[in-house]
Amino acid sequence: MHKTYFKVMAAAFFAAGASLAAQAATDADVESTFSPYKGGFPSFPGLSAGMVINKANADQFKDALAAGTYKLLKDGMFELKVGATTDFALSSGYIEATRKNLNKAKLGARTGELEGYVAGRPFPEEPKLDDPHAGDKLAWNYKYGVNWGDNAQINPFYWKYRNMATGQVERTIKFDFHFLNIKHRVKDAPVPEVTPNPANLYRGIYVHVQEPQDLKNTQLLIQRYEDDQKLDDAYLYLGFQRRVRRLSTGQATDAFLGADLMIEDFEGYNGRVSDMKWTYKGTKNVLLPMWNHNDLKLAGDMPKEADGYQYVNFGGQGGCFFEGTWQLRKAYVLEAVPVNPNHPISKRVMYMDAQLQNINGAEEIYDRKGELWKTFSVGKSHADHHLALNKGAGIGIDDAFSVVDLQARHCTTGQFRGEVEFKSNPPQMFQVQYMRGGD
Amino acid sequence: MQQTWSRSIARVAALVALCALARVVAAEEALPALGEAVAGGETWKTDVYYENDTHVRGADYTGRSVGLSKFRNTLQLETDRKLSGGWAFHGILRGTFDGAYVLNDTHFGNKAGGPVELQNSAGPAAAAAGVPLPPAYAQGMVPQGGGIGHTFVAGAFGLSNNAFVDSYANNPNSGMIVLGQNWHATAQGGVEFGVPVRPCDTDSRGCRDFGGYGNEDLQQLEAPEFNNRLDVLREAYVKKTIDLDDTRSLFLKVGKQQVVWGRTDLFRVLDVINPVDYSRNNIYDELQDIRIPMWIAQGEYRMGGSEGLQERNLQVVWNFDKFRPNNLGQCGQPNVILDASCFFRGMANLWDNGGTVANFANFSQSGAGPWFATNFGAHQIGIRNVNLPDWKLDNTQLGLKFEGVTQGGTSFSLNALSYRSQLPSLHSINGAATNPFLGVPGNLPGGPAVARLIAFDVYYPRVNLLGGSLDLQWESAKAAVRLEGAFTQGEEFANSLRDQLFSRNPVFRSVIGIDRPTFIPWINPNRTTLISGQLFFQHIFQHESQQGLYGTVGMPDWENNEIGTLLIKAFLNNDRLSPQLIIAHDFQADATALSPQVDWIFSDDLKFSFGANVKVQGGISNWKADDCRSCNPYPPFTTYPGQTVGSAGLSGLEPLGIFRAGPIGAAWRENEVYVSLRYKF
Repeated sequence: MHKTYFKVMAAAFFAAGASLAAQAATDADVESTFSPYKGGFPSFPGLSAGMVINKANADQFKDALAAGTYKLLKDGMFELKVGATTDFALSSGYIEATRKNLNKAKLGARTGELEGYVAGRPFPEEPKLDDPHAGDKLAWNYKYGVNWGDNAQINPFYWKYRNMATGQVERTIKFDFHFLNIKHRVKDAPVPEVTPNPANLYRGIYVHVQEPQDLKNTQLLIQRYEDDQKLDDAYLYLGFQRRVRRLSTGQATDAFLGADLMIEDFEGYNGRVSDMKWTYKGTKNVLLPMWNHNDLKLAGDMPKEADGYQYVNFGGQGGCFFEGTWQLRKAYVLEAVPVNPNHPISKRVMYMDAQLQNINGAEEIYDRKGELWKTFSVGKSHADHHLALNKGAGIGIDDAFSVVDLQARHCTTGQFRGEVEFKSNPPQMFQVQYMRGGD
Repeated sequence: MQQTWSRSIARVAALVALCALARVVAAEEALPALGEAVAGGETWKTDVYYENDTHVRGADYTGRSVGLSKFRNTLQLETDRKLSGGWAFHGILRGTFDGAYVLNDTHFGNKAGGPVELQNSAGPAAAAAGVPLPPAYAQGMVPQGGGIGHTFVAGAFGLSNNAFVDSYANNPNSGMIVLGQNWHATAQGGVEFGVPVRPCDTDSRGCRDFGGYGNEDLQQLEAPEFNNRLDVLREAYVKKTIDLDDTRSLFLKVGKQQVVWGRTDLFRVLDVINPVDYSRNNIYDELQDIRIPMWIAQGEYRMGGSEGLQERNLQVVWNFDKFRPNNLGQCGQPNVILDASCFFRGMANLWDNGGTVANFANFSQSGAGPWFATNFGAHQIGIRNVNLPDWKLDNTQLGLKFEGVTQGGTSFSLNALSYRSQLPSLHSINGAATNPFLGVPGNLPGGPAVARLIAFDVYYPRVNLLGGSLDLQWESAKAAVRLEGAFTQGEEFANSLRDQLFSRNPVFRSVIGIDRPTFIPWINPNRTTLISGQLFFQHIFQHESQQGLYGTVGMPDWENNEIGTLLIKAFLNNDRLSPQLIIAHDFQADATALSPQVDWIFSDDLKFSFGANVKVQGGISNWKADDCRSCNPYPPFTTYPGQTVGSAGLSGLEPLGIFRAGPIGAAWRENEVYVSLRYKF
């Protein structure tokens, strides 16, 4: 009996030791995670830049496509233009922070607990299928990813609600979105944190509606805590009420202003790590929408901006699909299942770009019955081929999005004008009081 | 008639021209610069809206179908511009024209009202008892002017100097309704009188300026923004944020504006800085559209975080505008909240011209009646003056708010406000009125001072408010919770126990609101339906009410009252179709409003709303209050047997039952269907 017990304990001890050894990331891991194509760009049989994938040849490239993207192509909803894979180098500040704080971040006992994190990518090591926490680690990498950088605005940001069957644009919402990392800042002053920050907030998102008339001056503020166990605080200022209303938790998983996406969908996933059970499902090379904005044929039917900026064009069935190029990328397939059994979705499958570790290039959202409900795809531009202001930002600039509700045959599209900078996103903007200063 | 139509057509033409001009402006964005615009070519950003709101009302209590109660056409121009130095300008011009006054002039225009009959319950009884009455006095109903007057009183009591009157040269029996006839049965033994209802240019009787309403002519009723307070300029302010560092800033906003406090929908607890125009659609329009913007300077010191709080903000609000009260509507308008201004207009007419009051003079020396309709002369009862606070520094209003967010994310505010009551308070003028029995002011020599006389001046007292609010998430219920409370000192209430018929009482009001988005699959499986409930509570401290000789005497307002509201709002077709149901229930009044509505966003520029507003009540029997006909101001003439001091408590629905019926109960016969469209050019 005692002998058996000892053997079990010893085995557990060595297993834990092996696991800890496997978690210890190296400088090589850092190099690999930020420069996955140092040894060359991926390839897929028959796939080449300049070609078009559509209903006719979708099967040939099925293994290089996210499942949702494949379905859209197979159903003839759009045609995918292939571009060359390019290097989306991240900001040196973020990379350096990762290097400097290597192995400081440790998972806690429960999902949603992280200890010792300082800045940069918390888990730069390659995920492993035999690591039961690989999904959690990727989720943390996303949460503390470079995303929109330390601060950014999307202004304007056009959303269009479209009937896929008729192509009718039912609504056009003109927003401005603002993002601020309150903690773990790596590039723009103040580094590393905006202080004072007594509530220990990690990030703020501020949204303002400019048009149309019935939504004008609607504002949304989301304050995310550093403590992942704490619920976000979210406030909505309704222009017609001129009053700030606290949002209840349920509203994060509800269609936002009638769009086909929820607050929880913002940026691919806009919730707590602890709200999901994360599973790493493997690594594969898939086509993700990533391009150089300035090289695209841009929309001619959008308002002209004073600086000459033009938006990504949309086409395909119902005008639901951005017309950018897709490139073959190394991606981690990540599955997120809501912890709450009453959540309106049953799971998300995300194709996380291994270099950026964003999750919104291709995402599938399944309804409560387990059937594919929506596809969500955000096309990104290289920062050096976008607005001059963004040159050297070292992030993938979200440039266009498409959420397709396959069941309702309806979509919401988004056209961004993103600027990565501090000045337009002052910390005051991410306070409740700021909303009350509106009209 | 010809003139009215011509004037209306001219006004519509002017609005159309304004509309056309605004459209050109919107298209060209070529308004002249306001001050110095920022470098870089910032121009005016202007939006122009047109809205038509059409309401049809069912039968009122008389059984007559009211018909068109609103045909309001609104043109609104909203404009913004960035100015130099970090300032920004925001302005709203709003002009409305309501065609209901012409299209339904028999209810709301120059043909409204008519002759009235007032109950004279003692007439038949006295005749049956053999009292030698002129035949006209022996009837159970008499016309305005048909009550017992000078001759009868002189003959019956030998009071040859009495000031009751036999007829009214200046107060003919035309263009009137019986007070309260639209919402309750009349001729039930209570006190009533005729109220003129036509616009004041057609019939000036009882017209008084209560502070922006009460003396409006047809044109002003039709197009209320075109007045001497320039309400057409609805909002015009400049604002600026001065950054002190990354997290601290000063915020300034100066001009004509709305300042919104609190976290409550529909009813106001802390949101009392701006008065409200209830004449627009009673309590049922969005507050944004019915708050009356005032010239206000507000400054905020946004302090950012501290060791204990994530956010701190100190706000000072100085309302330096000339005082304006809530607009309660003018008697004869479709929306007269609480029916209050019908009482006001009728009372003002009684003061100016005298008039017949139903069931006033006791015949049987008993609290059970019957009573004679009585012809009062001018300057005996009624409303004499409305004392509107002039503009002076002492009459401006000042508010202070500290707002914060705790480390745990709870938002809260602490509020203090010194303001003028936005509701009128009636103070009895007692000895300043003519004693109709004697023909001069005051009582008989050696008698007590006149007290509890239903002759009033109107005041708007200063009120001091202390309050607070907070909201938080209730995670397990997936709901957001809102709390708000306010304690006021200085509010005044009708009180028949007091010599001046009012008392000043502290009041506590609170509300708890819960908002819960809920998936209701049969409505929309993919989008929540918002369920929002609120419970208001009001307590009047030092409430006075006691049993008098014949009924309850004191304050008609409930000592404690609760109003519950429930909003169920669904979202369909990507929020382009939104059905909703609002239910509001006044617990003490036992009155309920049900308001189903469907909003249909046809396009970004065109929106329709269809709905109804239905009220039901089960508590009208509890709404009666001391009507002060037994307040005994002039003993011995007005003294009931056994009455010593104070009112004997004879009661009726008029005039003070409105305080018990509340805004829902008093409007329970104003059931409407409506359709509105809003178009953005």
